[in-house]
Amino acid sequence: MKQFIRKADIILFIALVVIGLAASAALTLSHGEAGSGAKVIIESGGDLFARYPLSEDRTVVVPAPKQKAVDAPTADPDAQASVQYDYYNVVVISGGTVSVTEASCKNQVCVKHGAVSRPGESIVCLPNRLVVRIDNGSEEGGGYDSVTS
Amino acid sequence: MTQSPRKTSGTSGRRKPLSASFIARVGLMATLALIFSYVEAIIPYNPGVPGIKLGIANVVTVVALYKFGAKDAVAVSVIRVVLAGLLFNGLFGMLYALAGAAVSLAGMILLKKTGLFSVTGVSMAAGVLHNLGQLLVAAALIEDLRIFFYFPVLMFSGIAAGILVGIASALVLRALR
Repeated sequence: MKQFIRKADIILFIALVVIGLAASAALTLSHGEAGSGAKVIIESGGDLFARYPLSEDRTVVVPAPKQKAVDAPTADPDAQASVQYDYYNVVVISGGTVSVTEASCKNQVCVKHGAVSRPGESIVCLPNRLVVRIDNGSEEGGGYDSVTS
Repeated sequence: MTQSPRKTSGTSGRRKPLSASFIARVGLMATLALIFSYVEAIIPYNPGVPGIKLGIANVVTVVALYKFGAKDAVAVSVIRVVLAGLLFNGLFGMLYALAGAAVSLAGMILLKKTGLFSVTGVSMAAGVLHNLGQLLVAAALIEDLRIFFYFPVLMFSGIAAGILVGIASALVLRALR
């Protein structure tokens, strides 16, 4: 049996198992934190429109950039979005997921896209130049994109 | 086939031509390893997570390392990975496997040099390093470090596969002695 397993093998085995367990524990913990810090980033026409925590429920009406060419009506929170704007999307954050529930465009791709909840996922509406994406809170401001782009 | 060992031997000494026995030996072992790769590829078993497999072909690599030395092990491993990549796994699979093979071979050669570990221990470390090398390539290709969530799974599967391969190799080496 001595030629199969030596003392150093057992030490190495224990070390590897401990590293594996530590890594899985660390990943589980960091994953939990990342989930609570995740942000919903709404971009309209390539510019940042708003940024909200994924954990807070809210409904946002995002007017499309081409709306600005038309005389924008004064914002009335009670009125229906479709009454206020000609070009718009309605973004709903609810229970940790984001979806686009209404859009002024014809194809309704963003509405049919359904809800997204994981960091890195996004919903795009091309006619209104809207991008809704979920960003991991911990990665925000990290030089990740600035290095690759 | 005779081209590949010539290429891999570039580091060990360019002046000396490769001996006929080296070429024949490596050719035989590479063929054997390739057959193992093939047999493993056609066995239908699905452990549920992609990327986990036993790697029986590595028995040949380990035996080559212990019986004939690092040069043979490297030659056999590279030939086997390139051919298995072309035949079964595709070019991207080959890239992953080459990275895994490079890292695990380096680790095996170093651990064997320390003289502290048995064949099983060296093979176990190689299994883990193999998976780690593949993960690094995957992270580089996908450009997303989140793939390291996969690390613990590959770690434990590498330990298990490495131990099994190591025991098999030890048995083969004992029979060859």
